[in-house]
Amino acid sequence: MIKQMREDTLQTLGLGTVLEIFKSGKLPANASEYVDKVFGKEGERGALVISGANGIVGAGKMMQFGVRLKEFGVPIIGLDFPGAADGLAQQYDGLAASFGVAESNEIMSSITRMNYDGKTLPPALKKYNPKFLLEAIPEILEIKKSHYEVFRKEFPGIEIRSVTSGFPESELGVGIAHPAFPHQINKVWETVEESPSDITKMLWALGMIPMPVSDDWSFVLDVLFCGVTLAASRYHEATNMPYWKIDKYVRKYFGPNPFRAHDVIGAKGANFLTWSCLAHLSKNYGEVYEPSSVLTERKDSGQNWYPLNHLRPIVNQKMGNGDEKLFETWILGPLIQMTSLILHEKRSHFTHINMLGEICAQFRSGVLAQIRKLGSEKCLQIVEDYHKLHPEAAENAWYPETIESLTGNDWNQLYVNAEHDGEIGVITIARESYNWDVNDELNRAIDWLKSENIKRVILTSDFHLTTQLVGAETSDFYPALYDKEEGKRISMEWSKTARRLHNEFESSVGFMRGKRCLGGMLELFLHCHYVVATNDLQVGAPEVNLPVVPGMEMCHWTFRKAKVEDWSKIANMMISGKFIKAQKTCGWLVDFAGSEEDAIKAAWSMASGPQQRRELKSSGMSIPKDIVSVTASGNKSLEQSRQAILNTIIDSCASSLSDALEIQSRHSAEFMTSKLCKDGVIGQDYSKTMNV
Amino acid sequence: MTNDKNMFPGAVIPYGTWGSSFFPTWQTSALAEVNIGQFAGEAMSYIMGKRNVRQSEIDYLVSGSTIPWHWKFWGSPFLSSTGGHRIGGHHLEQACATGLQAIIHAGSEVNMGSSDVCGVLTFDRTSDSPVGVFPERRTYERTQVLADVWDNFGFDPATGNSMIASAGNAARKHKIDRREVDDISYLRHKQYFDSLESGALDNVLVPLEVLGVQGKPIGKVESDIGTKAISLETLRAQRELDSCVTSGTQTHAADGMATILVATPEKAKELSSRPEILIQFVGKTEYRTSPSMMPEAPALTVEKLLKRMSLGLSDMVVIKNHNPFAVNDAIFGKLLNFDWAKLNNTGCPLVWGHPQGPTLTRVTIEALEEAVSLGGGYVLVFGCAAGDVGIATIFKVSDGGLK
Repeated sequence: MIKQMREDTLQTLGLGTVLEIFKSGKLPANASEYVDKVFGKEGERGALVISGANGIVGAGKMMQFGVRLKEFGVPIIGLDFPGAADGLAQQYDGLAASFGVAESNEIMSSITRMNYDGKTLPPALKKYNPKFLLEAIPEILEIKKSHYEVFRKEFPGIEIRSVTSGFPESELGVGIAHPAFPHQINKVWETVEESPSDITKMLWALGMIPMPVSDDWSFVLDVLFCGVTLAASRYHEATNMPYWKIDKYVRKYFGPNPFRAHDVIGAKGANFLTWSCLAHLSKNYGEVYEPSSVLTERKDSGQNWYPLNHLRPIVNQKMGNGDEKLFETWILGPLIQMTSLILHEKRSHFTHINMLGEICAQFRSGVLAQIRKLGSEKCLQIVEDYHKLHPEAAENAWYPETIESLTGNDWNQLYVNAEHDGEIGVITIARESYNWDVNDELNRAIDWLKSENIKRVILTSDFHLTTQLVGAETSDFYPALYDKEEGKRISMEWSKTARRLHNEFESSVGFMRGKRCLGGMLELFLHCHYVVATNDLQVGAPEVNLPVVPGMEMCHWTFRKAKVEDWSKIANMMISGKFIKAQKTCGWLVDFAGSEEDAIKAAWSMASGPQQRRELKSSGMSIPKDIVSVTASGNKSLEQSRQAILNTIIDSCASSLSDALEIQSRHSAEFMTSKLCKDGVIGQDYSKTMNV
Repeated sequence: MTNDKNMFPGAVIPYGTWGSSFFPTWQTSALAEVNIGQFAGEAMSYIMGKRNVRQSEIDYLVSGSTIPWHWKFWGSPFLSSTGGHRIGGHHLEQACATGLQAIIHAGSEVNMGSSDVCGVLTFDRTSDSPVGVFPERRTYERTQVLADVWDNFGFDPATGNSMIASAGNAARKHKIDRREVDDISYLRHKQYFDSLESGALDNVLVPLEVLGVQGKPIGKVESDIGTKAISLETLRAQRELDSCVTSGTQTHAADGMATILVATPEKAKELSSRPEILIQFVGKTEYRTSPSMMPEAPALTVEKLLKRMSLGLSDMVVIKNHNPFAVNDAIFGKLLNFDWAKLNNTGCPLVWGHPQGPTLTRVTIEALEEAVSLGGGYVLVFGCAAGDVGIATIFKVSDGGLK
């Protein structure tokens, strides 16, 4: 019997819980099994057909599937009109940059292009035995429906998914697999199905991120993304502020650049899609979704939102004093109202709703996390103020009851979940970077497990939304650039949370998987008694290149657990900023590295019973000043940053374990207010983002 | 207020829907680096935003400038598009009369029912003015090259004389005393700086920050850069360039923009921050005087207008003019038997410069603000323009002006 704080997002895919993965010692689905189920067994493989293959979505997905299905020998057919501009060739350079020319050529060789007239399928298609059609043709309902008919008539058993960003399954008559931009890179798909299909499970097994959503107009992502674009366009109409400047303010306060995103995607197509989504939504839900006149104008003209290069802006149209409140009302008001619809219609798992905003729409904090932070009362007030500015919006689709009470673990645990079987607990992190929200939720998860009397725990990513763990959320450091106390608070508080994994459980196992585990996230996992990683996982401390001084105890904790002869390896990793494959760090950073299944089993085994663990030295240690053997870079700033990290290592290791917490935090905080840090990546990001 | 004349019964100026950039002296600010048309369009949008006027409320744009600028062919639709809302409109120019002429045109557009809310956008950049190359068969050079600003100031093609020469001619004709001209200039500077300090221009002048092509600020236009207080002693000591004309008693080239709206009375009530104030167009006229006598033209124009309107200078609550030479004001005082000290209470182009297109727009805005602060009344705005021309307009600000 498994008890959970909330449902795992993995369960929404029909793949069970994370705890079950550890208990069973294997992943719930593997790519080979589901490729067989979708395309037929090896030797009898059918094909994947992507129609509209030269479009921005179709071409991107051709590449994404090409890379992933190559090893399984699945033919990929790109279908489009004879006169369609060659979108596939445009993808090649990016593919070659990621995979090299030889492998890219190999990937491209599994792709076959075919033309058709929109009515009759090419006869040659039959010999490829299409099993799965991913439709990426224009957003015109009747054309889409007749397209499906053509395929069904020719290939009766074919599975069809539409990439539509607006039409529900009930209108189209086929399932939805709505991908997020940029299509060749972004792994997220919103899926609409009665129950998770083999296709959806295959997507997961191929390393992508399907997120089930309900069968409603425009799903979740586009309600949020089109919604914030609409809100920003209305702010323009109300204040005359140019789109580029509004974008900067939206980015400053919330994260996205809605107008820039349209231009980058391609204004002509993106403007139409946004307008189309909103037009459908407004028909069903009223004025709050009604496309603004400027949006309609841009849809018709296909005009970019940003000025053309020869008209780069001249007047810096800044907000005046007190204008922030109006801005917040115009942007957040509709966004909160739109979110209330998503919640009212139970469109998806809370974590999905939140993360779709973060992963796909550039929100710094997902919309639910923002609502949670603002609090119910303030959110209701913002919407009330918005309705004064836009009274028609109040008439429909506003469900204040959905945010009147922000309680329960669905709200409280957007990023971190916990579950247990009575003996062993699992804490899952569904965010790639560590921030205050994750910190708070992690504390609540630990509290919950302790309240459930769980003494053994595995800390892991969530096997779903996080394909890597990249470190700390650097935007959370912005206040620390100008306030030493804030820097110290971040370092101390986050370190204290990490120490709970060591101090408050009999046994804790950090299980690291995916592409990489870096920086602050690595520091977090290293606090566990045991650290287990998959072989190919890259670990590293990129802080020196930002630069910052690691503030979650990597500067001493790792040394305290390592043998003296391994100290230089840790120091070199931190000073060089280079990433290392986890298997090469066995014994001095991780305790076990192996294949995914072996690592899962090892983690379960370490959590289950007493094992020999590396001792954590609590007394002071003398780290030699010449411990680093990294070649001098010749870059003065980099050398100064390296020295600052080395000083922190020496000072924090020289003290006791208890004193080291404060010492390393002080070093970290002092460095963050330095010119080096302000001139570095975080300082520059801060300037670009916050100094609007 | 006994005169009921109203040249545009269907058009009024909504109080407060206006603004001007500061006018930095030429070559002293970031404005010397930009396409002034684009700058003006963006600035208009910004200013109207500050006045709570949505660009989409404006349905027609009368634009005005005198110095060629990049994309000039596209005129008002281009200018409005740089502010985010493309509308139709036309462009006009009449040297230094451009600003007032544009306001009158806007009034006419609204009055005739062609527009409900007509924007006026005037601007010029004298800095680095473009050079025109003109194929010219009648000259021995066959081709003439003209630096737009300076070659025009220095040469009236009809008379062969410069602008300064016209000031000297007029001063001699009217026997103007150099000391009086110095006194006028001294007072005008004092009026301007006193007004700046008192905040009287706060509702008129809008500080603007200018961005370079990288999107980073390259300068702030938050003062009439280059305009300096000047002592009477210094004025007295200055060398005469022509009769009564010194560097201190003439204006200087500058860059800038100014904008104002004209609307139907109904729309004006919606747009204005103080809808109780009514600003009407009473009358307008122009007058051409003898060749090379430009500084006397404004006085003669005002004389003509007052006569036609059956009004006197004593009926005016605010009188304000474009005066490139202090000689203009001396002649005005002499011909109309009027104390020139009562002119230009909040400053004038003699002091803050001469970007041509927007000059009389800013003068008008300052005059209307002053009239409102005084509780309303007749407002006389006038000035001279190239070609020995004068232009004058009377507005009426309703009694509700005083707050």
